[in-house]
Amino acid sequence: MLNIENLKASYGKVEVLHGISINVPKGKVVTLIGSNGAGKTTTMRAVSGMIKPVAGKITLGDRDITGLESHQIAKLGLAHSPEGRRVFPTLSVLDNIRLGAFVRYTNARPKGDVESDLQRALEMFPRLKERTTQLAGTLSGGEQQMLAMARAVMLNPEVVLLDEPSMGLAPILVEEVFNIIQRLKAQGVTMLLVEQFAAAALNVADYGYVLENGRISVHGPAEKLKSDPAVKAAYLGG
Amino acid sequence: MEIFLQLIYSGVALGMIYGVIAFGYQLTFATSGTLNFGQGESLMLGALVGLSLVGNIHGGPYLNYWLMIPLVIVFGAFQGAFVEWIGVRPAIKIKSEFGWIMSTIALAIIFKNVAENIWGKDDLKFPSPLPESPIKLFGANVLPMEIVVVVGALAMMAAVEIFNRKSIYGKAVVATSNDRDAASLMGINTSAVITFSYALSSVTAAVAGVLVAPLTLTGATMGAVLGLKAFAVAIIGGLNSGLGIIVGGLILGIAETTTGFYISTGYKDVPGLVLLLLVLAVKPAGLFGKMAIKKV
Repeated sequence: MLNIENLKASYGKVEVLHGISINVPKGKVVTLIGSNGAGKTTTMRAVSGMIKPVAGKITLGDRDITGLESHQIAKLGLAHSPEGRRVFPTLSVLDNIRLGAFVRYTNARPKGDVESDLQRALEMFPRLKERTTQLAGTLSGGEQQMLAMARAVMLNPEVVLLDEPSMGLAPILVEEVFNIIQRLKAQGVTMLLVEQFAAAALNVADYGYVLENGRISVHGPAEKLKSDPAVKAAYLGG
Repeated sequence: MEIFLQLIYSGVALGMIYGVIAFGYQLTFATSGTLNFGQGESLMLGALVGLSLVGNIHGGPYLNYWLMIPLVIVFGAFQGAFVEWIGVRPAIKIKSEFGWIMSTIALAIIFKNVAENIWGKDDLKFPSPLPESPIKLFGANVLPMEIVVVVGALAMMAAVEIFNRKSIYGKAVVATSNDRDAASLMGINTSAVITFSYALSSVTAAVAGVLVAPLTLTGATMGAVLGLKAFAVAIIGGLNSGLGIIVGGLILGIAETTTGFYISTGYKDVPGLVLLLLVLAVKPAGLFGKMAIKKV
């Protein structure tokens, strides 16, 4: 569904990604793990058009999306829940969720039944349901993360990019976030998940890639990576 | 007392004009972090284009005052979009922090020169659509057009506010103001939103121009001072506060008319500008300015 081929990206003159390839098949959850500064977020940003790749090819379904603007890529069905959540602080929770479906309201993507999807999203994120009129900027970190994920789902996406959904959250909330990812997976949502909690990510994912200094060092089925001695030593705490 | 009340009325009308222009500054600042320093010239061009349609200077009058307003709105939208396209977008693209300041000022000077060549250097009288004899309101005189100015200014600001709150496109504008990158991820074309905000800000200025023109004289130089004072209002009230610019506009407008009468017209601008200096020293975000609510 999402295919990244030989992607290179840089900030200014510093090349951060040295040609990585990742394949996310339809209906599967693929995780990209690696230490801080390995280039995980850069990969996500390059896929969703927030930065322009230097080289390589990114396709979504049968469409080449390399170098397109973020808003064009969103219209083609890629939802990106960015690092740091980036909810709209002065808008209400409900308006934030609605904006997730902006391209549907404006008929840039098939509209479908937006209102019932909205209700379903609220059922899925009960913490948000109690706070629909509250301004997003006043939510706790965990609630903002739920909101960022609800917003992404509202696009009715072909693929969801989740960048560090557990970042800065209390353990109980991390668990809740992973439960939601599990439920999205059960609904058949295709996901590319970037995580520092490698063990939890590999538990939910079908397939994994390990990113090291801008290169993919190992990849394989999640089960296999979990038992790989090198991966275990570096990312799973021995 | 009667005179005082009358000065308040004129101050309110003047203040609302400042408020509307300041509102235009806010619109573009919110979405792009940039301002059109030629906002006063947008007002001037709107007024002069309106004059050509309703006055007898270019073979007219072609239209009556109220039918002219929609055309001035269309003109303002194109004028604002043009400023954004030529002067601001290149600066945003290269993330230049100050490029847009000089380019919007340059465009303002060009607009003024063009206006001088088309409409001449002298101030022109703008025919008033309403009787020019004052009516009594609580014992003091007020011009019917002054009431139209106040109502029109408030109506424009309210219309934009309702659009932002109720329509999905308005919410997209607010989202762009909050976080441009995140807004693009929602599929919002944020460049188009910025162009739109420039168009809208020039529309409000152009309409303010034709509203105020029957009260003042119209001419190529009318915009510069209005634009500058409205900028002071935006700073006094706060660049992100809707209430701030209304209050700021009223303070400046009333200070101007009362000082002009009781002290000297030579000093009429002083109290407002002293206030500006005070605000900058004591509360730089403006009287009603607020820092964005953020919690992580």
